[in-house]
Amino acid sequence: MRITIESLIAAAALAFFTAGCNRTSDKPAEVVVYSSVDEVFARPVAERFSEDTDIAVRLVPDTEETKSTGLLNRLIAERERPQADVFWSGDPVRAAILKSKGVSEPYRSPNAAALPVLYSDAEGHWTGFSARARVLIYNKELVAEGEEPRSVLDLNDPRFQGKACIANPLFGTTSMHAAALFQVIGEEKARDFFQRFIENGGSIVSSNGEVRRRVAAGDFAVGITDTDDFNVAFQEGKPVAAVYPDQDGMGTLIVPNAAVLVRGGPNPDGGKQFIDYLLRPETEKALAESEAAQMPVRPGVAVPDYVQPLDELQPMQVHYGELADLLERLSAGFLREWVEASSR
Amino acid sequence: MISAAVLERPGRWRVLGLAAGLAAALLPGAPLVWEVVTGAGSASVFGGDFALAVGRSLIVGGGAAILALVVGFPTGLLAGLYRFRGRRVLLAGVALPLLIPSFLWAIGLSMLRIELGLPRESLLSGATGCIFSFAAIGVPLVIFAVLLAVGSTAASNLDATRLAGGELAVLRYAGRACFPAALSACLLGGILSLADPGPGQILGFSGAATQVLVSFSALYDFELAARQCIVVAGVVLAAASPLVWFTAGKLAAGLLPRNATPMRPARWPAAEWAAPLLLGLVFALSVLAPVAGLVQPVLGRFWLDRTWETVARTGANTVVYALLAGLVATGLATWLAVCAARVASLRIAFVAGLIVVFVLPPALNALGTALAASGAPAWLDPVLRSRLTVGAVLGLRLTPLAGIVLLRAMCTAPASWALAAAVHGVPLGTYCRRVLAPFLAGPIAISVALVALLATADVTTVLLLQPPGQSSFPVALFTVMANAPESMVGSLALAYVMIACIAIAAVLLVNILVKPLALARGSVSAT
Repeated sequence: MRITIESLIAAAALAFFTAGCNRTSDKPAEVVVYSSVDEVFARPVAERFSEDTDIAVRLVPDTEETKSTGLLNRLIAERERPQADVFWSGDPVRAAILKSKGVSEPYRSPNAAALPVLYSDAEGHWTGFSARARVLIYNKELVAEGEEPRSVLDLNDPRFQGKACIANPLFGTTSMHAAALFQVIGEEKARDFFQRFIENGGSIVSSNGEVRRRVAAGDFAVGITDTDDFNVAFQEGKPVAAVYPDQDGMGTLIVPNAAVLVRGGPNPDGGKQFIDYLLRPETEKALAESEAAQMPVRPGVAVPDYVQPLDELQPMQVHYGELADLLERLSAGFLREWVEASSR
Repeated sequence: MISAAVLERPGRWRVLGLAAGLAAALLPGAPLVWEVVTGAGSASVFGGDFALAVGRSLIVGGGAAILALVVGFPTGLLAGLYRFRGRRVLLAGVALPLLIPSFLWAIGLSMLRIELGLPRESLLSGATGCIFSFAAIGVPLVIFAVLLAVGSTAASNLDATRLAGGELAVLRYAGRACFPAALSACLLGGILSLADPGPGQILGFSGAATQVLVSFSALYDFELAARQCIVVAGVVLAAASPLVWFTAGKLAAGLLPRNATPMRPARWPAAEWAAPLLLGLVFALSVLAPVAGLVQPVLGRFWLDRTWETVARTGANTVVYALLAGLVATGLATWLAVCAARVASLRIAFVAGLIVVFVLPPALNALGTALAASGAPAWLDPVLRSRLTVGAVLGLRLTPLAGIVLLRAMCTAPASWALAAAVHGVPLGTYCRRVLAPFLAGPIAISVALVALLATADVTTVLLLQPPGQSSFPVALFTVMANAPESMVGSLALAYVMIACIAIAAVLLVNILVKPLALARGSVSAT
């Protein structure tokens, strides 16, 4: 076999040409979905939508592990001429940030009529559906029976000194949880909680997945994570258990998914159809039956035994629409300083 | 007709060419930098902990660079100078960490610490853990830089040294000749750490990259992030300027035509155990350690269907992105090396420019490109929103790696070749095609391979720029890591490593095929 310089140049030119051509450009009907929901849960729903409607879904999932500069930044950068039609957000705060940045467009799906208004934007910029909850995860080999944490505030209890962890509160659902604490228990008490967390030897780790891993491995006794993270460890037989915190107090933070129609997206009709599909009771049921074990927010949807029905929980009374502004202020101020001080 | 002698003479085209090439490498991040120039940002770049974070980053980057040099330099020297059993396989093995995203290595290190029962504030976490994480990438960079530098050493010089002082003299003099290349590579390895927040996030270390990430992903303040990047670039450039001065000067080591027969690895009993031992240690620590923990769950179940579906969906994109990155970086680096190689001041400017390019985080380039594409007309989408864009942006960011390889190769090209060609009336094009290109074929192949490997490990650029639905395999793997069962993640990770091994084997094959071609053209190969 002989390789010549000319053939190498020709191969390079061919590679450039083929790379410049998007393979799916001749597809007649498609919808582009950016999703911060974990791909293992989002892709099956997208594939079923394609089967049911003959509309191809081009899914762009986000990644949590790297804490990379993720899809929300991409949506903001692309807002003048977006490529996405829908943003399927794993929490309503990111959706509210898109609203404040002018990336989203109001859309009231007919399937949203039966959904509680509590979990959706009043102006229709995002609609909440299937939810996760923020739970306390603990290692059963390190926490004796009867010593389990019952409240988020228990992380500062002396019995968990040096044994508690949370994910970085500048990112993800932990940031939303931090803002919710400030909203519900007040600024002074929330600041006190975070200060005491460090004084009690608490640690910050990179993500909720890391909280799950480190608690399951016994590096920490207790932490806060999302129900889907906990469920993965539970299904794998790790020695962990979860507690829905503050059931006799401020309540557990509920984190609904949020469907957002992107303003000026290339396929608005397809985008609306996809949102309609997400908001069906069948999709909520499917997400409940998946390993995500998400709780339907629509009343009356049957769930498997291992999924906690939402109406049996005392939810934290938060105003989701206002969390984004609060979080923006906290991220630029207290939370950032707190994380920096904790990292020194 | 342009004379071949133009390549050896000074001229304004060199300055212009170098400036244009470096500007091209910085182009993807330009839209965000422009926002800094035109914006009226209120947040202070030195607000909070930023200045301290930059200082901490410099310490970690310096530590990683020193560790990479200490381990990589002797290993590369032995592997380059001597033959031993399993040489090619071991060298291919130590290239694997380049394919592994740094945060994965950090997760492996974190799990290893737990398995060993070490406390959370041990050497395997925090700043020291980050040094180990980044050194895992820096070590192979140094090894391959030294390999290339050794390969461009003249056989006659080595033979003469061997006759005069034995193998220890060979090691001493070859080491001295290759040290600038090793220093450049470890410098780039250290700088790479300044732009990567992943390991710090996992191992509990807050550096400059973490601060930039917070500005991007928690504050959504692109302008602040861009200003922080510019400050970091300036500080790093100032801190690294003595090394830039030293390496740029020493990289020039033009061979004489009579000395241009490339060296061949020799046999030396001591190297037959020392080199495999060093390479084996590097392989075990930088490949087996992070991968073992991920692959272990596969023993319970291998997700063949899911793995195959993911490979089929993303395999072609992964290859296209990596190859394009390699071609773009190497093409630009070759041009830059041609412009700078013969003028000392331009070499210094070249290496300084490479540092600036490398210190900027991938997110800056990717978001800058996304911003530019968003404001551009739709007919530019094939250039700004396609797989070509992803490969090009990856390649431009990794140009510094290719730059060091190609600059070293160009600096060793005998000046008398071009002058002789000019005397005989050989046009520039013919000279480049018949003499220079075959001479550079080896370094070009290595450069394409190195950049392609590192580009494959970049998750941020692909995530932010991929045309919807055209993900790469690593991105597909890392988007399921958080919540997929460990056996599924392990299956995908194992497939990733196996594909990487095949890719590296293919690169070795290409290198073997290209080398005889260069020799058949009546010239020599630099490797």
